[in-house]
Amino acid sequence: MSDDPDKVWPTGLTLREAEEVHSYMIDGTRVFGVIALLAHILVAVSTPWLG
Amino acid sequence: MFNYRSFALRKLTSIGPKYLPFADVATDEVPLTRLLRLSLFQVTVGMALVLLIGTLNRVMIVELAVPASVVAIMLAMPLLFAPLRALIGYRSDTHRSALGLRRVPYIWKGTMYQFGGFAVMPFALLVLSGFGEAVDAPRWIGMSAAALAFLLVGAGLHMVQTVGLALATDLVRDEDQPKVVGLMYVMLLFGMVGSALVFGALLEPYSPARLIQVIQGAAVVTVGLNMLALWKQEARDRDRAARMDRAVHVPFETALRGISSRPGMLRLLVVIAFGTFGYGMADVLLEPYGGQALGLSVADTTKLTALLAGGTLIGFGIASRVLAQGTEPRRVGILGALIGLPGFGAIIAASLGGGILAFLVGVLLTGVGAGLFGHATLTATMRAAPKGQIGLALGLWGAVQATCAGLAVALAGIVRDVVLGGAGLSVTTPYLVVFMIELVMLALAVLVALPMVAGTRKPQSGAPVAQQAAGTEQPSVEVT
Repeated sequence: MSDDPDKVWPTGLTLREAEEVHSYMIDGTRVFGVIALLAHILVAVSTPWLG
Repeated sequence: MFNYRSFALRKLTSIGPKYLPFADVATDEVPLTRLLRLSLFQVTVGMALVLLIGTLNRVMIVELAVPASVVAIMLAMPLLFAPLRALIGYRSDTHRSALGLRRVPYIWKGTMYQFGGFAVMPFALLVLSGFGEAVDAPRWIGMSAAALAFLLVGAGLHMVQTVGLALATDLVRDEDQPKVVGLMYVMLLFGMVGSALVFGALLEPYSPARLIQVIQGAAVVTVGLNMLALWKQEARDRDRAARMDRAVHVPFETALRGISSRPGMLRLLVVIAFGTFGYGMADVLLEPYGGQALGLSVADTTKLTALLAGGTLIGFGIASRVLAQGTEPRRVGILGALIGLPGFGAIIAASLGGGILAFLVGVLLTGVGAGLFGHATLTATMRAAPKGQIGLALGLWGAVQATCAGLAVALAGIVRDVVLGGAGLSVTTPYLVVFMIELVMLALAVLVALPMVAGTRKPQSGAPVAQQAAGTEQPSVEVT
């Protein structure tokens, strides 16, 4: 197990595993970013600020 | 401190098996606490359902003065996603992951969508109802934003529920799978009853700011509970990841055709469709009916949802007892549909001089009938499903069930509005028309189901023999 050349330091995940974890991270950031943008637009429509 | 906690937990688990239906599903490897923790995802689903069907339905119609047909369309949005439950179940059955995870990625994705929908929803509703400066905003902004918010919540809850149920069945032995799904549905009802009461209390002095707080609070609670539910439930597994990589799966269409060509399956699905339709139409109209025809307040009408869910819980309890004794599930399903007939009769009678008591009795009866019907048809579907396709079977049942429930809700709103616009009829007439349609639907469900049990006079011998295919797809149970 320990001499697996695929392992990534320091987590011990293999490259593919690390990439999968990273993909969840990226997806989450995208979804939450879009949601936040949308919520801000809607709030600005009903109660505008800086306006 | 710590001792107190473990003491309380031990007490809780020792009273569990006695009072909680299906609690005998727990084993040493998968203790009841772990299953109950997993079932928290159902609590969030129940919360979302109550918020959509019960609370927001009423708030949009009465407090925000949104036209009822728009409300019905918004509430029907989650439905667009319901038929995809079969696909979601299939996808999670055949998921490929380097981490060896099958169910968790989908539940996480579903949780994100649910959170996102709730985060946007209050603002979308306020824009939709023309709050503040939004009066001047173009109408499509509010409409499309609200539709998107409901769609996100719907997509999220269908994903979470389908795949979460599949994860629960992964954890237990094959012959216990219908039971664990039953346990999960009991928790769904607890979630619905609890959150109906909480939402009712929180929204009592209604204000727009309060609406925002409640819905966004629901979003945060959803993410929190779902993460707690998922924690350490599905272990990272390199062997399974390697198996996933090599596995060859039949395409979705073939799998779907395979499962629906099993004897009696299509007829069963038709029965589920009619029965769910019959019970589903009332869901969205009971509260406005109570409010407009019988003069109940917001808090009172929200408690109606709790009463309905309480009835369903009783129905589940009876169904689990009867099914455990080896009664043919289809018979129990027919009984469930039959109970709805006097139930809706009483609800109709309430506005014709029967009074509030008749209404409450009717609501309770329809709840009991819906519980019996739901659990029995689910058990029948799962017993008919082939091994290794449990996600697909659960998805198929959920797809038919959720689609019909949603269509029923939409149709109920449309029928009410059309009849109301007809002539100078009394306020109660449109509701009564809908309740009559429900009676007809339930009668149809019974008629279609009768031939299924006519041949099987003798009930099947109860507990199916445990045929553990040792080692092939054993759920990983190490909790480390």
